[in-house]
Amino acid sequence: MAEPVIALQDLSYRYRGTKKPALQNIQLEVGRGEFLVVMGPSEAGKSTLAACINGLIPHFHKGKFSGDVIVNGRNTRQHTVSQMAEQVGLVFQDFEAQLFSTSVELEVAFGPENFGVPRPEIARRIQENLAYVGLEQFRKRPPSTLSGGQKQKLAIASVLAMKPQVLVMDEPTTDLDPISKLGIFQITDNLRQREDITLMVVEHETEEVLHADRIAFLKEGELIRLGPARQVLQDIELMESIGLMPLGIPSFFLKAWKNKQRSGGSAGAGGTAPALPFTPEEAKTSFELSGWSLSDQKYAELVKQETQALKNSGQPLIRCQELSHTYPSGVKALSGIDLEIYPGEIVAIVGQNGSGKTTLAKHLNGLLMPTQGEVLVEGKPTREQGVFKLGQKVGYVFQNPDHQIFSETVFEEVAFSPRLRHLDEKEVKRRVEEALSAVGLAGYEGQDPFSLTKSGRQRVAVAAVLAARPDVLILDEPTTGLDYGEQRSMMEMVRRLNEQGSTIIFVTHHMWVVAEYAQRVFVVKDGRLYLEGTPRQVFAQEQLLKEAYLRPPHFIQFSNLLAKTMLRPQEMLDCLSGGID
Amino acid sequence: MDAEIYLDYNTFIHRLDPRTKLLVFLIIFIAVLQFENPLWLLPCVALVFLQLVIAKAWPNLRRIRFVLLVLTISSLVIWNFFANGATPLFWFIEVESLQYSVSRTLLMLTIITMGMIMVSTTRNEELVMGMIRLGLPYRVGFAISTSLRLVPTIAANTLIISQAQRSRGLNLESGNFIERIRKFIPLLIPVFISTIRSTNIFGMALESRGFGAREDRTTYLEIKMGKADYAVLLFGLLLVVISIYLNIAGYGNLTGLRRF
Repeated sequence: MAEPVIALQDLSYRYRGTKKPALQNIQLEVGRGEFLVVMGPSEAGKSTLAACINGLIPHFHKGKFSGDVIVNGRNTRQHTVSQMAEQVGLVFQDFEAQLFSTSVELEVAFGPENFGVPRPEIARRIQENLAYVGLEQFRKRPPSTLSGGQKQKLAIASVLAMKPQVLVMDEPTTDLDPISKLGIFQITDNLRQREDITLMVVEHETEEVLHADRIAFLKEGELIRLGPARQVLQDIELMESIGLMPLGIPSFFLKAWKNKQRSGGSAGAGGTAPALPFTPEEAKTSFELSGWSLSDQKYAELVKQETQALKNSGQPLIRCQELSHTYPSGVKALSGIDLEIYPGEIVAIVGQNGSGKTTLAKHLNGLLMPTQGEVLVEGKPTREQGVFKLGQKVGYVFQNPDHQIFSETVFEEVAFSPRLRHLDEKEVKRRVEEALSAVGLAGYEGQDPFSLTKSGRQRVAVAAVLAARPDVLILDEPTTGLDYGEQRSMMEMVRRLNEQGSTIIFVTHHMWVVAEYAQRVFVVKDGRLYLEGTPRQVFAQEQLLKEAYLRPPHFIQFSNLLAKTMLRPQEMLDCLSGGID
Repeated sequence: MDAEIYLDYNTFIHRLDPRTKLLVFLIIFIAVLQFENPLWLLPCVALVFLQLVIAKAWPNLRRIRFVLLVLTISSLVIWNFFANGATPLFWFIEVESLQYSVSRTLLMLTIITMGMIMVSTTRNEELVMGMIRLGLPYRVGFAISTSLRLVPTIAANTLIISQAQRSRGLNLESGNFIERIRKFIPLLIPVFISTIRSTNIFGMALESRGFGAREDRTTYLEIKMGKADYAVLLFGLLLVVISIYLNIAGYGNLTGLRRF
C-alpha cells in the first residue's frame, strides 16, 4: 500500500452521558487514492468514525477520546475542525442542513473564502467543481430550489473546492431516489480515478459499493471485517447476521451452486468454483455458462398466482379523480391523477425526489385538498370530511418521527390520539397496549421516546397512529434512515398489520422494499401518474423507470436480462432447470 | 415549501449597495422617531411604501400579514397605557393617547417593512459584507444573517409538524383560550427539537467548511458604492437633518400628551 493518508491508531470513543463506547480500539490505515467504504448496522459507530476523521470528534462532540487520528500527518488532537477542513472534506447525510448560502456559486465559494483564497482563484474553483458534479447551469440558483440529489452534489462540490486530500461522506444517498443515488456514486467513481483524493464513504446500500477498493464492517463500535470489496461482499452470512443487506445476485448463485452440488453436479464447468458474479451483466454471463434455463411454465404459474391474489376489484376504498394540486406559490405539484386503492391492499407510491408522491399521499387523508378534481374516501369527497374526521379512518405516519413526538413517555405519546377523541381512560389504555404490541414495543410504556433509536422512534410514531384504529395506514418513507435489519422488521410489521385487515399505502425510495412487500405500485413522475401495476409488471419496464429516476435492484435487472422478471432469488431458484453437469 | 426570503429580482433597490440599505434603514428609523403626531410621519411612511413598491417586496409582507395584524392591533391598544392626554375618548383612552398609539404603530410597521425590504432585496452574504464593511466583526455579521436565515426554515418545519399533529386528531381551532394554548405544546416541542437538531448539523457543517479558519478571510462577492448609492444617501441625510430640525423647532408633537 502507498503511504497511509488516514491512520487510526487504537481509536476509542465514548459520547458523554452514554455507557457504551461508540468506537472501540479501531486500527485502520487508508492509502492515498484509495476508496474505502464503511458499512454496518445502525448505532455501529459509522458516523462517529466519519466525525473522527475531520476532528469533529473530539472538538465538537464532547466525550472520552483515546488513541490517535492522523490525517496527512496532522493529528486531529492538535488541529481544530476548521483547520482540518483543508485536509478533510466532510459531506453529511442531511442535505438541507449543510447548505447555507443563497446561491449555488456562493455555497461553493464559502470554503475557499475561509482560507483566504484570492477572488480569481475562487472563481476558477467554482467553475471547475460545479462542472465536475454537473451543476454549472445552476450557478445562480438558490440551493433550496434544487432537488435532493442536486443538493448533495452541491455539498460535494463545495467541499471539493477546498481541495481536500480526503473526502469523507456520511451516508450521502440515504434520502435519495435510485437514479440520484447513482449520480452521487458516479461522482465517487470519477473521484476514485483521481490519484490525489482518498475517499471514505459510509453506506448502507450494498449495490453501490461494488466499486470500492476495500470495505470495512463495523459492529458495535468494533472493526470486524476489512478486505477487498468483492471478497467481503461474498460473506453473505456475516452480512445477514450483522443486519446488512446481502446482494441478491451473489446470494442466488451461491445457493444455486450449492443446490447443484447437492444433486451431484460440480460447482461449475471444470470443477473449480468460478468467480462469483456481482453485476447484472456478469450474472447473465455466469448464468449462460452454467447452461441453466428458466421454466416458462413455472414462471407463468408464479405470475398467475400473483394476479389471483390481487384485491383490486369491487368497491374502491380510496379513489382519486382527475386530482390536481397547485400550491399557493403557483407550483403545480400534481396534475390529473386517477387512481383507485381497494380495501386490504398494500400499495407503494414511488418516484423521484420532488415528483409529488408525498403531496399525493397527503391528499388521501385530507391534509391537502385538491385544487381540481376530487379524492373520495369510502365514496365521500375528502373535502366534505376534513382531516379531523378522516384521521380516524386514514392514519398518516410522517417520514420523520421527530416531527410528531413530544411526550415524556411512550405511553403518553401513543395515548395522544385516542385522548383527543375523548375515549375513556380504560379504552385509551387498551388501545395503547394493542398498538404498542403491534409495533413490538410492549413493555416500553414508561420509556422516554427521545431516548429510543431512530427505528424505535419510528415505531412509536406508527403506534401513535395505530392507536386511533384507522382502516388505512399511510407510511411516508417508513424505512428511510433504518438499516437493513430494521427495514425488514419494520416492513414485516407493516405486512402483519395488512394481514390483520389494514389497507397499507407506503411511499418509498427503497426498490427492494417495493419488490418484496407491495402488491401494486404507482409510479409518479412530474406530478403525473406515470406507471402502475404489480411490482413485477412495473420493474419489467426498466427503460421507462429510468426516466422516472427509478431503477430496480440488481437482481431484478439480472432477471430482466433473461427476459423474465423475478423479484427474489428464491423465485428464480424455483424456476431453474437444466445445467451442465 | 418556499424557504427563501430573498426575492431574486433586479430592481433599483436590489442594485443598491448593502451598506446604503443598512444606512437608509437607520436613517428612516431616526427620522420617524422624531415625531409624535401621526400626520407628520406620513411623508416617511409614503417613502417606505414607495420603496416597497419599487422593490416588489409585497409577497414577503403578505406572508407575515397575520403577524402584522396582531402586532398592529395590540400596539394600538398597548401604547394607550403608556401615555395620557387631555381629551378623554372612552374608557382609558384619550384622543391624544390614541394619536400617539397610531404614530407608534406606524413607527413599528415602518421598521418591519424596511427590514423586510432589506432582506427581500439583499442576499444574506451581501448583508454580512455590508455589516462588516460598516465595522462589525465578521462573526457578529454572520450570526445576525444566520438567525435571519433560520426563520423560513423554522416556518417550514412548523408547517410539517402541524400537519403531522393535525392528522393525529389535534384540532387547533377549537376550545377556549387556555385549551388552545395547551394545544401548542405538541407543536412547540417537535419544532424546538428539530430546530436544535438542524442547527447542530449546521454548526458541524460550518466548521467542516473551515469557518473561522483564518483571520484573513476573502470574499467572492464584490460590493461597490455607485452614483445611485451616494444620491440615495444624500437624500437620506437631508431627510434626517430636516426631521431633527423640525423636532427641535417644535413641530410634529402632540399638545396635551403626557408620556410615562
